[in-house]
Amino acid sequence: MRSEKLASWRLIEYTTIAVEITGSIALGLVVAGSILALLGYDPARGIFLLVFGGLRNPDYLLSRAAFIAMTALAFSIPLLAGVFNIGGEGQMYLGGLAALLAAVYSGNAAVAILAGGLAGAALGLIIGALKAYRDVNEVVSAIMLNLTLFYVIVYAITAELYDPVAPHESIKVPKGARLGVIRFGGLKLHIIFPLMLALVAVAYYLLYHTKLGYEIRASGFSPKAARYAGIDPKKTSVYSMVIGGFFAGVGGALNVVGFTYYIDNLLTCMYGMGFTGIGVALMGRNNPIGVALASIFFSMLVLGGSRMQMLMRVPKEVADTLSGVIIVALSLPYAYRMLISYIRIRRMVGVGAEQHS
Amino acid sequence: MGGSQPAVEMRGITKVYPDGVVALRDVDFTVRKGEVHGLLGENGAGKTTLMRILYGEIEPSRGEIWIFGRRVKFRGPWDAIRQGVYMVYQQFSLVPAFTVLENLILASSSMGRAKLQDVRRKAEKIEREIGLEVPLNARVEELSVGVQQKAEILKALMSEAKILVLDEPTSVLTPIEVRELMKLLSRLREMGITIIFITHKLREAKEITDRITVLRRGRVVKVVETRDVSQEELAKMMVGREITFDITKKAAKAGAPLLAVKDLWVRDDRGLMAVKGVSFELRAREILSIVGVAGNGQRELVEAIVGIRPVEKGEVVFSGESITQMPPSEVYRRGLVYIPDSRAVGLILDFNVTDNSILTRLKQFLSGGRILWSEARRYSSRIVKEFNVLVDSLRTPVRHLSGGNQQRLLVGREVASNPKVIIAAEPTHGLDVAATEYIRSLLLKLRDEGKAVLLVSTDLDEVFQLSDRMAVIYEGQIMATGRPEDFTAEELGLLMGGVKCEAKS
Repeated sequence: MRSEKLASWRLIEYTTIAVEITGSIALGLVVAGSILALLGYDPARGIFLLVFGGLRNPDYLLSRAAFIAMTALAFSIPLLAGVFNIGGEGQMYLGGLAALLAAVYSGNAAVAILAGGLAGAALGLIIGALKAYRDVNEVVSAIMLNLTLFYVIVYAITAELYDPVAPHESIKVPKGARLGVIRFGGLKLHIIFPLMLALVAVAYYLLYHTKLGYEIRASGFSPKAARYAGIDPKKTSVYSMVIGGFFAGVGGALNVVGFTYYIDNLLTCMYGMGFTGIGVALMGRNNPIGVALASIFFSMLVLGGSRMQMLMRVPKEVADTLSGVIIVALSLPYAYRMLISYIRIRRMVGVGAEQHS
Repeated sequence: MGGSQPAVEMRGITKVYPDGVVALRDVDFTVRKGEVHGLLGENGAGKTTLMRILYGEIEPSRGEIWIFGRRVKFRGPWDAIRQGVYMVYQQFSLVPAFTVLENLILASSSMGRAKLQDVRRKAEKIEREIGLEVPLNARVEELSVGVQQKAEILKALMSEAKILVLDEPTSVLTPIEVRELMKLLSRLREMGITIIFITHKLREAKEITDRITVLRRGRVVKVVETRDVSQEELAKMMVGREITFDITKKAAKAGAPLLAVKDLWVRDDRGLMAVKGVSFELRAREILSIVGVAGNGQRELVEAIVGIRPVEKGEVVFSGESITQMPPSEVYRRGLVYIPDSRAVGLILDFNVTDNSILTRLKQFLSGGRILWSEARRYSSRIVKEFNVLVDSLRTPVRHLSGGNQQRLLVGREVASNPKVIIAAEPTHGLDVAATEYIRSLLLKLRDEGKAVLLVSTDLDEVFQLSDRMAVIYEGQIMATGRPEDFTAEELGLLMGGVKCEAKS
């Protein structure tokens, strides 16, 4: 039906989104610059560092984005099914640990990543099934599991899996099981980034081109309509948690076999990324492609922020505030749209009244 | 306007919703003190919107409101209640787990401090004065809908309401309860309470009101003295033309039985038995109606037939095969389809047109777990064309379609699969005249093509117009079955209210 019209509709939609995003980033930067100026820092230099400082080390930037994108998917996919998975943090820890053990025993990176994914999925299954069949609030069980797992893994690494040479680190992933680095001339890139892109594509395909994805989205939007269509929304929500957990687990695995090659005894290499993923998921509007872009953008701000701290002696709190300002600005298009519809209504009311008088 | 101020005066009320829908356009509405004023109009005419504006629940885009001669600007219902305006919705604002008295206390505590004994004394006094019988110590959820409505009115009187707005108050009541409500309203009028009565039922409007304002598509058509107009004239004002459905029904020649329900027992969401031993047979080339007041087990019955709800006991046979407890998608695939009574259940409003076109037929568009979107789009555009669904694009979220277009999409999707049996629950609920006529003609056409239709409806016009046979349901049991000619409206009313006739059963 009217395929040219469809195509142009799509073009307009995408152009609008692009304009909105550029506009709100610009606004965010102006506000952030004003804050810097007010505090007596050079705003131009600060903004430059905040935005582009991270690009000094593109490999690190993209690798970080890869981990965050995984935990963001771990949040997005269950959310589309109507489940609030804040357990991405714990699922990632467990995935990292499982990957480390699998790497040590099998010596194979693929096995390790799969093990990490499965460990995360198992955790997702527990939370999802408790929610669906025992009415246990998923937020509560996820928070408790996050905390429990943190200490269990800290214990495992400190007491059992430590490296005798460097006791605050775990035993290392054997050389043969490490994901390598691609080099183009002088530039290098950890393989985890292209892997992340592939996984994002898989998530997109799963959500928008498969039966399961359709059922996940249907259950999330309207459990009643799903039940009418013969979809079991409870079962579907459990599947979504399993898939979400899988992605978080893979995130942990990529971290361990693809970047750090060990886990430190306070889990600093992963700590907080599960929660960061929640924000990134929302910024990416729960769409895998949006999530990939948001994770890169977020990493830019984080790395740029620490660069600014280092070079301009801006306190960490200020750097975080500036990142926050930019992220808030990104949510403004919604508010803007509401304003536009408000103006349109005012105009329509005016027209209506004129016709009557 | 005479010497006294009108109770309500709304001037130039316009309401435009954020999505650009104009619900009301420059409406003037005046209610005299102490009268029962009918607000008449079809579904979607703007009656409820106008009253929710009066009640402070919606802000008008433009316009002014006077109550007893004073300009008001309510920030919310609590403001309106303080000024003596009280609105009784179709869905009552009572806490089901509380007793009536507790509900009254809850309502009065927002007005200031309330003492249990004071509230009880006051409630009993009001009950005595107007002969209202509401058991104060009974829990609301245990009361019948009619009594709940009385409790709601009592609540209004406790807050010293001078203007009472009733939104379609009879739609949930049995005929006997309707009669009681009418008596109660007359008494309230005698006490000087001004009543605004929202309805689309002509007979009721004619019976109880003093004056009537007729709304159509967000505009006032006319304000009339009730005694000066006939029901036919009112009908004409309401729909903008004579109500004659150009539907001619050919005589039915029922064919082979397609669907048989045998002694079916089904529980509702609260675990109570909602369907108690229902049996019937549906044949090809006939429309069988299940008639009853809403909430008498109709939904549980059809949900159990198609497999959405577990069957406690009994059997469902479709085309000679038992489909009891079969998953819904299997039932649909075999050619028994179901159009639910709510479009928010039959469609996923946030999904686009194509997504929705395959909701109940996902399996047909799969190839090893992958959705064949190009085929889905082709199917979807076929439905859109064949059933005249007005859409900009197949990518438009269904939420942005009008109710009529949503219903065409929903009905079209189910009918396009060429089923043998169609279960249609309230298929024209909330639709305008054109869409209603379209859907009803379609159902008749399907019947004439040799399909069987099980129509579940609370709309008696619809039932009489379409049915070849009808079965009256009350509290989960079939009270009587027969041809439409076999029942007078009054008999039907009694059966729907649970009174068995001697003649048939």
